[in-house]
Amino acid sequence: MSTSEKPISDKEWRTVSNIPLKGAYSPQDIPDSHAEAMHAPPGAAPYMRGAYTEMYRGKPWRIFQLSGFGSPEEEGERIRFLLEHGETGFIMEHDRNTADHMYNVDHPDVIARKEDVGLTGAAIQSIRDYETVLNGIDLAKTYGHPGGGVVQHAPFALGCYWSVAKRRGLDLSTLPGTGQSDFFLTYLGCVTKQQIPTDAGLRFNCDIIEFCAENMKHWVPVSVAGYNGADSGLNAWQELGAVMANAVEYLDEIKRRGNTQVEVAARAVGGMNFRVAMDFFEEIAKLRAARKMWHDLVSRRYGITDPKVKALRLHIVTAGSAMTYQQPLNNIARGTLMGLASVLGGTQSLGVSGYDEALSIPSEHAHQMSLRIQQILQEETNVPAVADPLAGSYFVESLTAQVEEKAWAFFEEIQEQGGFLRALDSGWLHRKASKNQLDFQQRLESGEANLVGVTKYGDDHTPYELDGFRGQSGEWERAHERLRAVRAERDGKCATAALGAVAAACRSDKNIMPAMLDACDAEVTVGEFGEVFRAVYGDWATPI
Amino acid sequence: MTNTDLRNTRKVLFAKTSLDGHWRGPLLVTGALEDAGFDVMMLGMATPEETAAAALRDKPDLIGLNICGHIDVVKRTVAMLREQLPETPIFAGGTIAPWAKKELEAIGVEVYPPGSKLRDIVAAAHRLTEG
Repeated sequence: MSTSEKPISDKEWRTVSNIPLKGAYSPQDIPDSHAEAMHAPPGAAPYMRGAYTEMYRGKPWRIFQLSGFGSPEEEGERIRFLLEHGETGFIMEHDRNTADHMYNVDHPDVIARKEDVGLTGAAIQSIRDYETVLNGIDLAKTYGHPGGGVVQHAPFALGCYWSVAKRRGLDLSTLPGTGQSDFFLTYLGCVTKQQIPTDAGLRFNCDIIEFCAENMKHWVPVSVAGYNGADSGLNAWQELGAVMANAVEYLDEIKRRGNTQVEVAARAVGGMNFRVAMDFFEEIAKLRAARKMWHDLVSRRYGITDPKVKALRLHIVTAGSAMTYQQPLNNIARGTLMGLASVLGGTQSLGVSGYDEALSIPSEHAHQMSLRIQQILQEETNVPAVADPLAGSYFVESLTAQVEEKAWAFFEEIQEQGGFLRALDSGWLHRKASKNQLDFQQRLESGEANLVGVTKYGDDHTPYELDGFRGQSGEWERAHERLRAVRAERDGKCATAALGAVAAACRSDKNIMPAMLDACDAEVTVGEFGEVFRAVYGDWATPI
Repeated sequence: MTNTDLRNTRKVLFAKTSLDGHWRGPLLVTGALEDAGFDVMMLGMATPEETAAAALRDKPDLIGLNICGHIDVVKRTVAMLREQLPETPIFAGGTIAPWAKKELEAIGVEVYPPGSKLRDIVAAAHRLTEG
């Protein structure tokens, strides 16, 4: 032991979110207020112990990975590869230049960096590209996520996917899948060069929620998703408090609009996404606390009584930021631990980040490993046999109660900032996240915290060096040719009229989604929609 | 602060080469450089042409590139910067695969991949702007 290292007995143990940890826990560590939730079985209010009585005996968690790159053909091929290997839903990844920014590939900002096109997902500019990706996939039976993680992109992504389904003669009322339209991604984690302001984003999301409430009972319209808040630096209880604050913005707005019952909207919003990272028990506590908080929130604030609405369903993605650049095969162990924590926390679906995440988008092998990790958990460990197996642990129950208490306090802090949207507009949440990032980095550099293979044990002999995904030449040219073809071959008058109807809907109080579906079917391109949105709403004043 | 200190303030121009919006890495780095007394100018997402134009205008002592995209775009940015300001050192960080890191190092760009220490990056900024 070096002289600078403290003896073990003097070390102050804390969770990564700074909650002090004792060496052992006893019944006295569980607050009385927690007893009711602890003694209610899984599938019973307040659902802390699980959304369903049977949990994984009734239904295994969905293996749900983000995938795609290159051309629409290649993206479709990767998705079919994963589905054939046991994935039970798919998430379409998109090219950031075209999707996140709503630019066609002939936009000057894309032309200036042609080689970037296709690097993070296929460049999908019209419904034709959607048809190519989805070729050979049974949309009636496969749980799909068409992309649209970034808020301004969601109406296009959903409009195209749903229009493809309609072209195939499928009934939208039974189509299974989920949207995302994610405020944490859009306004906190990945701030684009241009984005519609948060109020316009809220309007889009409420339009999507109301459209689905009326027409698509099996579709989850939006996902309140903390992942990108957490991976930007929000700690466990901050992520939890902010996610609840996000949900409240949607539901309050739905209530104000008065078109849809809050209960129906809450059913849709009550599928939430969290990130699970490496602080094993704290993350499990967070997921248990999330279900209890949601139950309490919708019961108290909106008077909701329907058990189906009050039982929160979860989708978890393991932390990409936990995946190290150095010794990347170690990340397979990290993915396994984070996947296990997600399952012990009672998730309904799971994506395990690729072991080469710090280098590039996942290679085919990394994707396959993410799948195999989940299959090993499902098939070999017996972990799915028992619902909420950590219930009654003095430690886990105590930690769950503490995380919940801190999360409610953070929720209130956000309300004091004027609510979730204003806390994004002002940069308040970004500053909270940044501070945690810096604190953690300083702990790593001081040796107080460690990463194996990075701050310690850096001398491994790696059997091979990972390449990551290199990108392919000619993607821009191929995407440009597809764009030229769709412009030349579509019914120009019909496309212009349909886009005009979208612009008119944006300027009115009408729901934009019917016009979006028509315009996507009329082969209006992503960049053309983007121009309309920019003209109507202007740009968000980025706080960072 | 004395006049001497002002005269010695070293300017670092930062740009993101891609349209990828991940900001936590670059913000951590620019924050650390500001804390170390550097005058940081954050250009945000910029094309090679925009980065070169800003460099020519602001005459930084050091240029930092955040990479979340294709290496050829980064190389084009470096070539344009070298044309305008051949003596100005360039360093880079972000999502850079080992093979791409080697290619950048071969053209004289110092590369700090994920897992790099802030104190090493700050030390590099001091070293690269000395003299």
